[in-house]
Amino acid sequence: MKGIITYIMLMSGLALEPDNVFGQKLSGRVEDQKGNPLKGATIALLPANLMTISDSNGRYSLEGVVKGKHTLYITFVGLVPIRYPVVVGSADLVLHPLVMTEEVRLLQEVRIKKPGTPYPGNKSPLSNNLVDRDYLMSNLGGSLMQSMEKLPGIKAISIGSGNAKPLIRGLGFNQIVVIENGIRHEGQQWGADHGLEIDQFSVGKVEIIKGPSSFLYGSEAIGGAVNIVAPPVPALKSVGGALTSIGKSNNGLYGGSFNLYARQSHFFVDARITWQGYGDYRVPTDTTFVYDYAVALKKNRIRNTAGTEQGLHLRSGWISESYQSIFQVSKTYSNSGFFANAHGLEPRNVDTEVHDRFTRDILLPSQRVSHFKIINQSEIGIGKDFLNLELGYQRNYRQEHSQYVNHGFMPPRYPVAQPGDQNLEREYDKTVWSANLKTNLERGRHRVTIGTSGERQQNTIGGWGFLIPSFSQWTASFFAFNQITFNKRLSIQNAMRFDYGSITIQEYKDWFKSYPESGEGDYLTRANSISRTFKSLNWSLGLSYTRESVFLKVNAGTGFRMPIAKELAANGVNYHYFRYEKGDSTLSAEKSIQLDLGIGFRGKKLSLELTPYFNFFPNYIYLNPSPAHDYYYGAGNQVFNYAQSRVMRYGSELQVKYNILQSLRISLAGEYLYTRQLSGAKQGYALPFSPPTTALVRVRYSPKWDAFKDPYFTLDYRLTSPQDRIVPPEQRTPGYQLFSFSAGGKFKMKHQFVALSLQVQNLLNTRYLNHLSFYRLIGLPEQGRNLILSATIPFEWKKKG
Amino acid sequence: MLNILQKICACLAIGLLVTGCEKNIPDIDTVYPVIETDGTNSFPVQCSRVKRGEPFVFKATFSDNRQLGAFSLDIHHNFDHHTHSTEVSNCQTDKVKVPKNPFLFIKSFDIPANLTRFEASQQIDIPADIDPGDYHFLIRLTDQEGWQTIKGISFKIE
Repeated sequence: MKGIITYIMLMSGLALEPDNVFGQKLSGRVEDQKGNPLKGATIALLPANLMTISDSNGRYSLEGVVKGKHTLYITFVGLVPIRYPVVVGSADLVLHPLVMTEEVRLLQEVRIKKPGTPYPGNKSPLSNNLVDRDYLMSNLGGSLMQSMEKLPGIKAISIGSGNAKPLIRGLGFNQIVVIENGIRHEGQQWGADHGLEIDQFSVGKVEIIKGPSSFLYGSEAIGGAVNIVAPPVPALKSVGGALTSIGKSNNGLYGGSFNLYARQSHFFVDARITWQGYGDYRVPTDTTFVYDYAVALKKNRIRNTAGTEQGLHLRSGWISESYQSIFQVSKTYSNSGFFANAHGLEPRNVDTEVHDRFTRDILLPSQRVSHFKIINQSEIGIGKDFLNLELGYQRNYRQEHSQYVNHGFMPPRYPVAQPGDQNLEREYDKTVWSANLKTNLERGRHRVTIGTSGERQQNTIGGWGFLIPSFSQWTASFFAFNQITFNKRLSIQNAMRFDYGSITIQEYKDWFKSYPESGEGDYLTRANSISRTFKSLNWSLGLSYTRESVFLKVNAGTGFRMPIAKELAANGVNYHYFRYEKGDSTLSAEKSIQLDLGIGFRGKKLSLELTPYFNFFPNYIYLNPSPAHDYYYGAGNQVFNYAQSRVMRYGSELQVKYNILQSLRISLAGEYLYTRQLSGAKQGYALPFSPPTTALVRVRYSPKWDAFKDPYFTLDYRLTSPQDRIVPPEQRTPGYQLFSFSAGGKFKMKHQFVALSLQVQNLLNTRYLNHLSFYRLIGLPEQGRNLILSATIPFEWKKKG
Repeated sequence: MLNILQKICACLAIGLLVTGCEKNIPDIDTVYPVIETDGTNSFPVQCSRVKRGEPFVFKATFSDNRQLGAFSLDIHHNFDHHTHSTEVSNCQTDKVKVPKNPFLFIKSFDIPANLTRFEASQQIDIPADIDPGDYHFLIRLTDQEGWQTIKGISFKIE
């Protein structure tokens, strides 16, 4: 976006130049994000093949540049190369200072300073990670979150090989918000077997905020936020595209993503289609035990975990200097199987002959998920200030198919008179409307953002199984942030946000009768109709200080979360886990207060970053297992009550990078988290899904070769400690060591660089258990060795100038 | 520069100490209760047979390191061979059939307080008019902290 403004400023300035037949002088300056001049950057002008190096003031100049269209190509070790189209007229040209960033690698975008997100990049006092498309492609996992698992503090709760949801510093589900292109991504966050419905090929960059970000995103951002941003809009007057193809050895995945874009001066179109199909994934064992029941796995394959994924994206918009409006329409669809020998935690006898006949067929049990979204993002510039409006509509439609099994008091056969498909166990249909309006104002040292946002959700359910009732909710908020920059070293950020929300839960009655120990049977009420409202005032206060290569960040802030429908109203058996879950309609909104610290050093050879945090919840919502069983409502299952307790969490991430040589770097990323319940029935216990301590050591060799651009070879060694801090119904998970390898680079084909990447995950085919995996509770080991190969071939049609 | 480095190293060391030292781990229970159905008196066991219209006595030994909670029993048909069995050996099963009037038994029981070992003994009546065939006998045992052990046994009602 920022680049577009530069282009336009440049273009409008050039139009005034008179004609001249001699070559011109092109000059400018290169600087880093902090505004320091960059010495020694390589500046090349193509296709004229002129080259120079920037001086100690970051200045460069090129003589004898002929009239016409050129591309300025600026590179600097460790920074994102800049490709910048230049139109040289009849006079010497002085370009605006170009800023080279280290955060992302986006070839088509040139950054200039412009207010955008409230606390961009390094200035954020909260700990964050930013990854781009190149990172995702070279670390590609089964799904977006699995591709990001190597980042410290980030984990994925996975089910199977293609579905995962984010876990930030041990918090996930409804304690994390996912934002896609400015709009909250709403799926079925509450369930461990539901993935994130995002096509990872359509992602431009991802920012992960670790810590309470309710002041930015409202309810549920109590543990952090995953902010997904689309790729930059195409460059001015360009037509092109890219084809990415991918293959994986472990589950026989193959697929690809095809992208086409075109842009005139103001109008652009960008379309993408993605398809992937995969078979049952393989683990390094031929027998697994569901409870004590032995399950033989044919050719080490996890029966019925095949799937397909499709994504369709269309983006189009109008861009000018003072106004822009972009529409995005997207649809993702996936169909994937669940491990047939265990549906939830229930061991099942299956017809192995039918299941093992093909590895790529999807039989029962399975899930189908479709997610449709329309987003409009508009921005109006008023002088130096901006007004942003984001509007969104989305629909999340999910079906879980399974053969009818009569649990508890359900009739032995699915009644003929019962409407609905007898293989449809559960169905969720969620419709969401959202709107955000905000303005950025710059006044002297202050950069102020003021805004409001609102969301309306409608949730309905279907199927013969019941977990969560139908409900509707709406939320509204007002917020203001202020960033005060005192000088280049010191800036202070503060924020305040008020949220108001209301939730209305619909009554749900069983479709079958349950029978008390004596007397007549009855249709039990599984959820009472409840209406609740919640309000919360949250704040955040932080500072960031930079001096030479050292930086310091301090932040304190609060977060909150409205209880979800099942926490308030559940009163039925969850047959995924064989437990009778009982909600509490009096639960208060979950609150959190967190202190974050970040200290670091960025030198030429060595860089360090330590980000400790301390977090306290006065009323964490927790599903507490009791010793009791319930006969009537629980059909003999163990009673789990939603309750609130005081919780303390603290931990830290550590990142160290050391450049042994210019081409050889060794790095360490570690994370540690301690959680403890301070009150309630489980006082002294940890929280569920507490990630174990891990360390990731990486050796990366990136030589300079003529034939191959940006080559890299990476060896990763991940050491994970055992997790003994467990809470019912978890199990202790032993520690493990994993090796993985990756290599890649780009080679030139005609005028484009074709990117290749190779990965070998779980190099030694190690058998290990992941404490955070859905199937951990039935002791299913993780994916074995997996070879992943991907290639991206970009193409561009150039108009002759 | 060196000074800054030293400061950072000191901070790092403190940080690691603060986060790395686990304070005295509170004395929490993480042990699952145990269902013993392999004793000589235990009944039913995997592949047992019982008769319609005749009562039988469920017997098993429960134990826990701290304190037992409660248990529940669940008998339901397995005519479709959906297998809740958590036992390794598979029994000879009848052909898959459609249930007409399958036997369903669900009942929960308390265990007297402060016990670490308990001999469960419970008479179960089987009506004479139910469908004979393959059934599951599911035992769920909890301890006071909420750890639950499930044991599934395949048996036959004749």
